[in-house]
Amino acid sequence: MQNMRHIWFLAAKDLTIFVRDRASLFFFIVFPFLFIILFNFLLRGVGSEDSRLELHFATREPEGGLSHLILAGMETKDESLLAPGEPKIVREKDYAAARLAVEGGKLGGFIAFPENFTRALASGEPLELEVFADAGRAELRTALGGVARSLAAELAANQVVIRASVALLTESGIIPADEPSIAAAVRQMMGKITPAGGGSSLISFKVEKVGEVKETNPSDYVVPGYLVMFVFFAAAVSAEMIVRERQNHTLERLLATSVGRSSILGGMFLGLVIKGLIQITIFWVVGILAFRVDLGHSPLGVVILSVLMVLLSSAFAVMLATLVRTQRSAASLAVITSLVLAPLGGCWWPSFLYPLWLQNIAKISPHAWATSGFNKLMLFGANLGDVVPEVVALACFAAIFAVVAIWRFRTSAV
Amino acid sequence: MADDFVIVRDLHRSFNGFKAVDGVSFTIARGEIFGLLGPNGAGKTTTIRILATVLRPDSGEVIIGGHSATKDPQAVRRIIGVCPQELALYEDLSALENLVFFGRMVGLSGGEAKEQAMANLRLMGLEERAKGKVAKFSGGMKRRINFAIALMGHPELLFLDEPTVGIDPQSRNHIYENIVALKEKGMTVLYTTHYMEEADRLCRRVAVMDGGRIIAMDTPYGLKSRIGDPAKVTLEDVFLHLTGRSLRD
Ligand SMILES: Nc1ncnc2c1ncn2[C@@H]1O[C@H](COP(=O)(O)OP(=O)(O)OP(=O)(O)O)[C@@H](O)[C@H]1O
Ligand SMILES: [Mg+2]
Repeated sequence: MQNMRHIWFLAAKDLTIFVRDRASLFFFIVFPFLFIILFNFLLRGVGSEDSRLELHFATREPEGGLSHLILAGMETKDESLLAPGEPKIVREKDYAAARLAVEGGKLGGFIAFPENFTRALASGEPLELEVFADAGRAELRTALGGVARSLAAELAANQVVIRASVALLTESGIIPADEPSIAAAVRQMMGKITPAGGGSSLISFKVEKVGEVKETNPSDYVVPGYLVMFVFFAAAVSAEMIVRERQNHTLERLLATSVGRSSILGGMFLGLVIKGLIQITIFWVVGILAFRVDLGHSPLGVVILSVLMVLLSSAFAVMLATLVRTQRSAASLAVITSLVLAPLGGCWWPSFLYPLWLQNIAKISPHAWATSGFNKLMLFGANLGDVVPEVVALACFAAIFAVVAIWRFRTSAV
Repeated sequence: MADDFVIVRDLHRSFNGFKAVDGVSFTIARGEIFGLLGPNGAGKTTTIRILATVLRPDSGEVIIGGHSATKDPQAVRRIIGVCPQELALYEDLSALENLVFFGRMVGLSGGEAKEQAMANLRLMGLEERAKGKVAKFSGGMKRRINFAIALMGHPELLFLDEPTVGIDPQSRNHIYENIVALKEKGMTVLYTTHYMEEADRLCRRVAVMDGGRIIAMDTPYGLKSRIGDPAKVTLEDVFLHLTGRSLRD
C-alpha cells in the first residue's frame, strides 16, 4: 500500500516536471503529427491507381460440388456495378492452372475450396480453405488469409444449420441416408442461402469488409508507423530524465528514505507508462478524427499492440538509464537506437518491401513486430488471433528490458 | 554507553582498491552534536553515506537507534534525515513542491507534508519564495532548501554534510542559527564542516579524520588543550597541527 503510494508520487512528480517543459511537450505531441502530415501528403495517390483489389478463387472439388455453386454466386459479373473499394471476385476455372500461374508469377495468389468441401459441410468436419500465394507477397498472403478465414467462419455457421436439417430429413425418411442424396439436399439448401446470380448476402458482407480495409488511405499505414517510432523515441529520450535523477543527487536522497529501490524503479516506469498512454490516446484520436484512420476488424488488437508498445518502450528507457552513467550518453543512445530501429522496423516505409534477409534482421527490433501487427490489422483485414505472434513478441521485449533494468538497478551504485 | 544513539564499529570501504574509509569507529549519544572534521578526501562523506544506508560498507558495523544499517536499513531510514553535501533538489519544481514531495516520500500525509514544508520554509526565511522554481534560486537559497528537506518528517537523527558550504555569511548564519535551535530541542546531529569555529561552537565532541581514519576524537576544549592554552588556540590550529599543512588534492 505504502509502496503503491510512493510509486504514484514518484510518477506524479515526473509528470509534473514533464508538463512544465514546453519543449518536450512540443516534441512529444506536435512534432509527430508534423511528420504524419508530411508523409501522408507524400504517399497520397500511391495505391489509388491500382483501383480495385482482385480476389481470385478456385475449387478442387469435382464438378457438381457445392463450392462451384458458391463461386458462381460470388463471382463478379459486372465490374461497373461494384461499389468503390469493393473487390472484384475472379473465379479461376482450373485449380492446377491457377497454381501454375502463381508459380510463374502471373498471379499473386488465390483461395481454393478443398476437394471434400461438400462432404465436410454436411458432416461437420472442419472447413479449411486453402490460401495459395506467392511467398514474396506477404501482404497479399495475409489479405487472402483474412478473407479465407472469414469465409470459413461464415460457412461454419451455416454448417450447423445444414447438419441439423440433414439429420432431421434422413431420420424422418424424407431423403435416403446415402451420400449422393444428402449432397443433393445440402446443395439445395446451400443454394437457398447463396442464391446464384445476386451474390450471397452473408458472404458478400464479409468480402465487402475486406474491400473497405483495402481502400488505400496512406494514414492507415503512416499513423501506426509514426506511433511506434515516437512512442519509443519519447520514452527512450526520457531515460535522460532518470539519469538526471542520479546526477542531481536526488536519487541518493530518495535512497536514504524508506522508499525501496523497487518503488523508485516502479515510479519511474509508471511515469513513463502514463506519458506513453497519453501519447497513444492522442495519436489514435487525432488519427481517427483528422486522418480518417480505419482500425480494421479488431480495434482491440490495435489497442493491445499500442499498449504493449508503451510498456516495452518504458521498460527500454528505464533499462537504458541503468546502463549509462551520464545524461549525454543517455540522450545520444536514445536518439541512435530510435533512428536505427524505426526504419529497420518498417516505421517509415513498409518493411515487406525489404529483401527477406533484411526482414529477418529487422525481427530483432520491437518496431518490426509492432508495425507488422498494425499492418496486418489495419491494411490486410486480419483479426486479433492473427497478431498473436506479434503480441507475444512485444510482451517478450518488454519482459527482457524490464528484467535487465531491475537487475542493473539492484546492483548499481548511486 | 547505554544511551549511545549511533554506534559505528571498525568501518571499512574501498573504491577500486582505494581505502576511502579505513577502520572508523565512534559513537554519538542521543541529543549530541557530533562533528566530523577533516581535509578534502578524508572520507567524511563516504562515512555519512554508509550511515545513511545509501552505500554498503565492505566490513564493520553501524547501529542507529538500535537498528543495524546493513541488516535492517529500512528501520534506520525511518529515523534519519539527510542533508547531502551536494544539492539534491528538483530544479524544475518549486521550493514547496520539493519539500512536499520528499515529505510524502518519508511517509507524511498530504496535509502533514504541506504543513511541515511551510513551517520549514518559514524557518529558512523562504516563505515568500515557496512557489518559486528552484532553478531560479540563488546558491544560498538552494542550500537552505537542501537543509530544509532534511527536516521533513521530524527525524531523530540528522546527517548534515557541509550544509553551509559555498554560501554568503547571511545564509550561513541562518542555517547555523537553525542548527543551534535544533540542538536546544535535543536533536542528535552528525555534522561535517570546514568552518572550524562553527564546529567549535556547536559540537559537544569532534572527530578529526584523515586518509580514511580518525586521528583524534575529543571535545573541542580537550583537543585545544592538547596543543596549548585552550583559551588562546583555535580549533583550526589543532586541525592544522593534526593533519599537517600539505595540500590534499
Ligand atoms: N563513488 C566513489 N568512487 C570512487 N572513489 C570515491 C567514491 N566516493 C568517494 N571516493 C573517494 O574516496 C575518498 C573520500 O571521499 P569523501 O567524499 O568521503 O571525502 P570527504 O571527506 O567527504 O571530502 P570533502 O571534504 O572534499 O567532501 C576520496 O578520495 C574520493 O575520491
Ligand atoms: Mg564530503
